Order: sequence, then C-alpha cells, then structure tokens
Amino acid sequence: MPEDHRPSALADVLAPIDRARGLPNAHYTDPATIAAENRACLETTWAAIGVGADVPGAGDAKPLDFLGQPLLMLRDDAGAVRVFYNICRHRGMILVDAPRKIEGAIRCPYHSWCYAKDGRLVATPHVGGPGQNAHPGIDRKTLGLVEVPSHVWRDVVFVNLSGDAAPFEEVHSDLLTRWAEFEQPLHHGGADSSFTLEVATNWKLAVENYCESYHLPWVHPGLNSYSRLEDHYHIEAPGLYSGQGSYVYRQLRGADGAVFPDFANLSPSGTRARNMSRSIPTCSSACIATTPSPSCWSRSPMTARASTSTSITRSPRPTRPCAPATPRSGKRSSWRISAWSRACSAAASPRGSTAAASARRWTGRRTASTPGWPGGWTPRPRRRGDAGVTRG
Amino acid sequence: VTDTARGALDAALIAAHARGDRAGLIALYAEAADTAGDTRARAFYLTHAYVFALEAGDPRAAALKARLVAEGADRAD
Repeated sequence: MPEDHRPSALADVLAPIDRARGLPNAHYTDPATIAAENRACLETTWAAIGVGADVPGAGDAKPLDFLGQPLLMLRDDAGAVRVFYNICRHRGMILVDAPRKIEGAIRCPYHSWCYAKDGRLVATPHVGGPGQNAHPGIDRKTLGLVEVPSHVWRDVVFVNLSGDAAPFEEVHSDLLTRWAEFEQPLHHGGADSSFTLEVATNWKLAVENYCESYHLPWVHPGLNSYSRLEDHYHIEAPGLYSGQGSYVYRQLRGADGAVFPDFANLSPSGTRARNMSRSIPTCSSACIATTPSPSCWSRSPMTARASTSTSITRSPRPTRPCAPATPRSGKRSSWRISAWSRACSAAASPRGSTAAASARRWTGRRTASTPGWPGGWTPRPRRRGDAGVTRG
Repeated sequence: VTDTARGALDAALIAAHARGDRAGLIALYAEAADTAGDTRARAFYLTHAYVFALEAGDPRAAALKARLVAEGADRAD
C-alpha cells in the first residue's frame, strides 16, 4: 500500500485551508488504495445502487454490477424491491443478464435450477439423475438466492454488501427526520425521467464535483443565473453524509406551463427543504444514485449537491476553498451515474394551492446552532423577485 | 408411438427451443411425457415441461409438479 495511503492523509485534507492538501494521488489511481477505500466507504455501509423505478412492476428484474459483485434488483409479487446476488447457487452462473420481467421463476440458463421471485430455490431438475429432481444431499431450503441487505428510502435502493452495517434507519436517522415531511407519494415519470452518464473516473471525483458550487458560474451559467453560487448551502455531517442545497425554488414547467403540485402540508422548514430537492432535481438525484457514501470520512445517502469548498464573502458560514490538488495520472476506474427526476404527485394539492405555495417562496438563513437540522438553517421569507433568472 | 411420430415430436421440440417458444415447449414436453415408453423417460420429459411452466408462470406448473411427486421424481415442497 502506498505511503500516502495513511490516516494522516485525511488529516491533511481536513486541515485549515492554509495548510490543507488534496487527497493523495493513490486515492484516485492505486487499485489497492481504491479497493480499501471502497470497502470502507461503500461496502461496509449503505450504498445506493438504483431506484425502485428501475423495476416498476412485479417481477421486473435489473442486473447490475456493484463493487465487482453481480447483483440483481428484483421486485417481488408483493411489490417489495429486493436485492440478491445474481448468481446460481449451483455453479455460480449469472442468472439474469439483462433487464427483463420474471414471469414465473428465474431459471438458470446453465442447468435450469429455478428460483422464485423471493429467492427460494424451487426446482433442481435432474439433480439426482435423469428425471430425478431431488437428491438427499441437496436441501433446496438452504440453497436459495443469497439476499443482500437492502433498504428503500425515497425510492432509492440502498444495499449493505458486507451485511454487518447497523440498520439504515439507525445510521441515517437524522436524515430520515430531516426529510420526514416528504414521506408522501412520489411519481416517477418513467424512462423519460431518467438518464445515465457513463464516466471513466473514480467515484470521488463525481462526489467532489457535487460537493461544491464553485464551478457553477463557469460550467453551468444557466443554472447559476437563477440558483447562484451563493444561493447554495451545505448539508453535511462528518462521518455521515454530505450534500448541498439551494435557497432557490423554481418549478420546472411543461410546454403548456403546467407544473407538478407542491408537496402538501409542508412546514416553513419543510418548504425550505423542498426548495433544495425541487430546484435542481437532476443534479441532486444523480448524487443519490451515485454515491450514498461520498467519501471516506463522509458516508451518506445524501440527496443533494454539496458545497464544501467555495469561499464566498456573502456566504452565511465560513467555507473552505479547495485545497490544492496534486497532479493526477493513471487509469481511472469506471463509475456509472444514474439519475432520476423526482416529482410529487398523488396526494397532490390542487392547482390553486400550488400557485399559492409558489408565491410563498421561502429562503433560509444559516445559523450555527439551529436545532433539528444538520447544517442548521432557519427559514425567512424571500422577497419576491429574489430568485429570478436575472440577478438582482 | 411410431418412430415417425417420435421423430416429428423431436423436431418440433428442437424448433421450439430454437424459437424460445416456452408455451410450445411446455406442451410438447408434456406430450412427450404422455407418449414416453418408460417411467424414467416420462419423468425426464415431465421435468422439462414443469421447468418451463415454472419459468413462464404457467398455471400448468402445479399439476406437472404433482405428477412428478406422484411418480417419485421429485419431493413435495
């Protein structure tokens, strides 16, 4: 293991800005370092692998590879999303090689062992000889598919590959509390509301990108025109998660001007949270699906982009600019980003109240000690026009 | 069953495999079981009919499994 893969490397990153350093190269290029990091940050905690909308109907199955492990995300007949290792218990054959609907059972293409949608092994043809489908040494009850501990939150499917993490609700109890008001019916727009980015990079580079809004004026000038660099704030808790919110809320409009209804019955603080989750849905969702555990010291199922590295004089809280990075070279691993757009629905408020809610936009003011909200903010009314496309 | 009929059934089975025609496979293997000359061959064909029915979620799966169990070719769940 390289010399620079050592605990003090993180201390260097977290040091005051005048002494801080970027992560050493090995964290981006050295397979051993990356493997150790993946285990610590992704395998032994809760990591997002997709969304329930990927398997919308009973029997829908989607194979995927996560940390080199073949997994199968499957919606069973009861409507629950479950995750299994996508391998036959007999000879390790990949069971499902492309997304499809499982009509009755999963049949291994090699020797036709069959598994029910809940993972039970239900057929072992010819295992005792031609036409003899049982054998004293083969106990089907003990040879079902190996299930991976999973948890679905906000339709995001999280898994704990190591199987020994504390329950999701315990690890991320503060996040569940934070977003509790949004536990309302969701509607996913289907394939048209999703996109996938295939990027040849170490996953941390994607995380580091969404952890700062510093690049917005240059890379996303359109976004920055209404959700400005200084409109963004941090949502982060060391050791747990990192994310980013925006004070600005502007609904997406269809060609006919229609908008989705707002989430119903939000408190002022909930309205603030909505601003974040609704104003930049694709960016925030990409973070969900990509990196629930954004960094070694910051494990998260976070739902928003995070800003940890801008130094803005108007920022309500001192922030740290990026520490200088050392030149990086070498082959990067491939990381897949899958994003989805979110919209509220069902318990939808009527159009009239939607308009009313839009007129009551709120923004926030960060405080160092606002209780109940990691990162701390308190809502304050936004002046009309504050969030316009044209900067004030 | 004549050799000609057996040959035709074999050809139909191979063609159904090539098409990935599960419904056809279920029916043809069940037919092969019904016309098999001995217990072992019958169980072999029944097994295939059952597996494809199971995979397809075909309601015939339960009856096929029951026949296999009755013939000692499988265990009851």
